[in-house]
Amino acid sequence: MRTEAGAAGVRRNLWLATTTSLLALASGAADAQTQWDTTFEKVERGEWHGPRLPDGQPDIQGHWSNTIANQNNFTDPQGGIPGDPTGVAGGSAADIGREAAAPPRSARAPSRVSDPPDGQLPFRPWARAKQQELLANFFEPTRPEYIEPLARCAPAGPTKSLYWHGYEIRQFPGYVLFIFDSGSRLIHLDDKPHLPEQIKLWNADSRGYWEGNTLVVDVTNNNAKARLARTGEFTSPNVRIVEHYIFDNDGQHYTYEAVYDDPATFTRPWTVTIPARRVTLDTESSWHNSTEPATLPSGEVVQESVERVCVENNEGHGEVALPSK
Amino acid sequence: MNTKFARHRRRGAGSWLVALGVALALAESALAADNDIPRTADGTPDLSGIWKVLENVDYDLEPHHGREDAPPGRGVVEGGKIPYQPWALEKRAENFASRHVLDPRLKCYTLGTPRGQYYPEPFQIFQRPRDITILYQFGHSVRTIHTNGTKAPEGGNRLYWLGDSRGRWEGDTLVVDVTHFNDKTWFDRAGNFHSEALHVVERWTPIGPDHIEYQATIHDPKVFTRPWTINVLLYRQKEENFQLIENYCFTHEYDEFYPLPDIEELAVLPDGQ
Repeated sequence: MRTEAGAAGVRRNLWLATTTSLLALASGAADAQTQWDTTFEKVERGEWHGPRLPDGQPDIQGHWSNTIANQNNFTDPQGGIPGDPTGVAGGSAADIGREAAAPPRSARAPSRVSDPPDGQLPFRPWARAKQQELLANFFEPTRPEYIEPLARCAPAGPTKSLYWHGYEIRQFPGYVLFIFDSGSRLIHLDDKPHLPEQIKLWNADSRGYWEGNTLVVDVTNNNAKARLARTGEFTSPNVRIVEHYIFDNDGQHYTYEAVYDDPATFTRPWTVTIPARRVTLDTESSWHNSTEPATLPSGEVVQESVERVCVENNEGHGEVALPSK
Repeated sequence: MNTKFARHRRRGAGSWLVALGVALALAESALAADNDIPRTADGTPDLSGIWKVLENVDYDLEPHHGREDAPPGRGVVEGGKIPYQPWALEKRAENFASRHVLDPRLKCYTLGTPRGQYYPEPFQIFQRPRDITILYQFGHSVRTIHTNGTKAPEGGNRLYWLGDSRGRWEGDTLVVDVTHFNDKTWFDRAGNFHSEALHVVERWTPIGPDHIEYQATIHDPKVFTRPWTINVLLYRQKEENFQLIENYCFTHEYDEFYPLPDIEELAVLPDGQ
């Protein structure tokens, strides 16, 4: 952002941040009635009785999406963004936690923070003040750092990638690959050491293994540039995340549970829980899973992903390739 | 198979191969290759692994001597010249003159096909029966080559950066038809370009455990007078514990604002502050 072109970039990104936020809010409001669940059952860790791949991994490949809400609000997923000038969710930055939107808080999906039990992040005071500052400046960003980086096409980071748009999981011997609308995550299932700690990455560095129905992943080398939601929650680059992807034997659901350990930012470790469901061509309402049918020579119809771009089109995430002129 | 590379491979194959006996030594070269390329359980060549070009291909596909922004290169275009139509040759010259600004790689845009394969950063191939996944270290691109007999969508009007890739195995060669391109990618840093009419036919031929001959034939009747072909050799990254390291380079222009510029200062404050 030091050049003239950079200044144009800021303007463009401001536009993007505002426009995409408003669009998302507008559609989010409609979705809340038609698409999102307000409750979910947590899948328990245990045995895997479902199909397996030749290398022994549980076969959970396919398209997935979270079931409750997008990344508007971390701790009140269906509560909108406090301070929303469109009034969809109502309230101001000071109203976090207040029941500003209808239906009432008790009828909306629970906080993504499952521990501590109060659903709030155990921020240290300096970090809570920062988060409030980011939230207060979300809709009218006056400094570059107030722009939520996802609005600039940045990767969403390890956890937010799972409750933003839908995504695809592919598995290969020794790997689980997540393909998001913004970037990807390759989980290494071997014993390779993590990258040197000087290397910090948007989507971090992941080492995992299977334990019954659960993929356990150790996540380090996080650059902490991605935020957890539009409500401004963040971590420091020293955060260590241990993830559990717990797959239901019905093959249709999984629960993501991750423990965040980041003493510089939080007074204690905390847990985030995200419910997910499989998305097929028959799924009535998917959340930005851009898949299309393709026909095998046998006549069977299979599901294919569509190429996703963002920075190239100078449009919001979720845009697919442009139509021909 | 490109015989030039095959000859090199046979010369370097090592004495153990000779020890296998006269019959094998005299056998068709393809047979020798059969015996030392990785295969999946059903016998299909297994292209899995991390690959990278060694030659300086991305600077200029055509033969060139060294210049300020490019090391010399022998060129990888069969016949040495890309057969541009006259208007397109002028356009290429304009691109070349402004390459420091116009090359899409400078914005970290998806490199496209075939450029992603010879850009000087590694990419990883993953293989399933239904498809081949290519994860490029550069940028955010993930490419799928469908190998399950599905066809590109008929009448589809989407124009892709990577193209729509449908592959099939011909012997030990993966042949891929790549169509539905937009006109926004370049072939290299020298401004070589194409139109939306681009149709790339790739041939991926493993010639040993650690080498793949990569051939791409470029069809674009709006820009060229005839199809033309490049040949590139891909090498397996064999370093211990080698892995791709994400390079979402399009974030560099705003990296400095995240995390919050003052986060480290704030984070060292004693408890309770």
